[in-house]
Amino acid sequence: MTTTLTTTKLPPSTHPYADVIHRLEAGGSMLPDTPENLMQIIGLYKAYAVPMDFYWRDLLYIAEQVFVDPLPFFKFIIPDEYLKLANHYAGDNADLRIWRGIDTAHPELLEFMEKGELKRKLPRILHHLWHDRINMEFAEECMRAMLWHRDMGGLLDPYMDSEEYKQNADRAIRAYVQGNPLLQGLYKLFPDMFMELCRQATMYSVLGLFWEIMAPVFFEMSDLYDEGKLTSVPEAMNFLVNGIFAIAGRPIYHRVRIRGEWYDIVPKSKGFTWLYEAAFPYVEAVFYRTSPFRGTKSYNAQANQIPTNQLDFHYGILYADKFPVGTAGIPPTLLHQDMYHFLPQYLVDYYRQHCRGDEDMLIQLGVSFQRSMYNVTSAVIQAGRAAFLYPLDDPNPRHLMMNRRYFEGQLNRFARPEYGIREAARITYIQDQNYR
Amino acid sequence: MPDIVDIAVSAEGFSTLVTAVKAAGLVDTLKSPGPFTVFAPTDAAFAKLPAGTITTLVQNIPQLTRILCYHVVPGRLKKADLAKFQSVGSVEGSAIDLTIEEDIFEVNNATVIQADIEADNGIIHVIDTVILMRPHWFWPIMNSKLAAAAEA
Repeated sequence: MTTTLTTTKLPPSTHPYADVIHRLEAGGSMLPDTPENLMQIIGLYKAYAVPMDFYWRDLLYIAEQVFVDPLPFFKFIIPDEYLKLANHYAGDNADLRIWRGIDTAHPELLEFMEKGELKRKLPRILHHLWHDRINMEFAEECMRAMLWHRDMGGLLDPYMDSEEYKQNADRAIRAYVQGNPLLQGLYKLFPDMFMELCRQATMYSVLGLFWEIMAPVFFEMSDLYDEGKLTSVPEAMNFLVNGIFAIAGRPIYHRVRIRGEWYDIVPKSKGFTWLYEAAFPYVEAVFYRTSPFRGTKSYNAQANQIPTNQLDFHYGILYADKFPVGTAGIPPTLLHQDMYHFLPQYLVDYYRQHCRGDEDMLIQLGVSFQRSMYNVTSAVIQAGRAAFLYPLDDPNPRHLMMNRRYFEGQLNRFARPEYGIREAARITYIQDQNYR
Repeated sequence: MPDIVDIAVSAEGFSTLVTAVKAAGLVDTLKSPGPFTVFAPTDAAFAKLPAGTITTLVQNIPQLTRILCYHVVPGRLKKADLAKFQSVGSVEGSAIDLTIEEDIFEVNNATVIQADIEADNGIIHVIDTVILMRPHWFWPIMNSKLAAAAEA
């Protein structure tokens, strides 16, 4: 394990992951700073950003136009206007330009949507049915995790149970079902179901607005790396930390367009922000918790293999076993499949040299993805430290001790023995370059 | 006696705060009888925020208003009054944590560098860092302990 110890005013940590604690205290990441790690995580950010450019656009389309459709068969067939929708953080007219590139859909995405893996121009519906497409099911699984875990901080969650929200939703649902006696009847019979569909649509919007920012952030990091301007893992982490602060105040909202008219469900005027109502809840619900995957593993809830408290769930990317998981058609695998189409050449060459080459590229990229998400989580931990606690070079030892308590508390989430959490966490694996 | 806004405008080193309060349309509120207790970040405190943070907030007034409201507490609370509490509820709705001992006066991660400035409609405490709402999971993480078996 590589250790970056610095001269500190505190005695050494006695935490089981003391090496990582010391590295975080020195301004590093949970992921060791090696050129190989840097190449893997940046390559994966690029490969993730292209499908993410589709995810956020389609998520907003579903939130704004599919809305509470009880049978949304065509929700993944995104209309052109959403492919042309200007990203607020890329292009010449950006609110704050994070990526130097264009604000409409990424060219690699458009090419893939047209020809797919088959490399043939076919009607989109055929690509869709053949599953030769961007797998929105992964994005929906993330949205569902956020909706299901719900109270992960922020004010949006209590707001979704407020009278104000219900009235806004009711107004929009009434407009949506207008002129459709069947839907009107269904709404009368099952008002709560439609209300819950509306909350789900709100969560589609939240995740769409969250990823609208992450896609240009990852594109820019990839461009900087290609130019030799991002040269270490901590630099990559700090780019993310600065990005998190820069767009922390971006509004989170949900609006619906029905017959050309916009209806506010969660108005911008509520003051909800990207950091508190989207980013923190996303990391908590998706990176750490999500839900036990069905398919390749069985869990026995009566034998205490599943925590009774949802807060103790530990099925996110930071705990994922990439080997059995990588063999089933479940959401993270669908993401691997999406990223596989957009890998930079240097990573394709790298994966061919290891393990079974082409044969297990999906597993290898899954492991790189896990490394890259440990780095994103490190950025979130450092951003939290900067926002709520103290600078790493604070001269006050009491402040440094608070920082340590925070870092140790964060890493306890990977060290707890309950429910096999410690064994599931991949933090020790990613310290080793041979984990692939 | 001058009110909270008058003091901030006339004092040196609060131009960012004054601009933000004006942009958020909070001038009338902070001139109203209140009373309010305001934790006022200096220009240097705002300058510590990474580039872009303020730009995004100024583009989005409701979000800016929310952050500013986190720096305001209803009532007229001097250091001696605040010392009775571990935390106080802000106008934004989230709690502000207090660490107050004889020679320590801290709110969240900010240090009060000048306390108990009296205004007509409240009290101002000058702070060296812009404070941000701590989510509900913050203290559980700070206080988390590993079971003894895990320490081995």
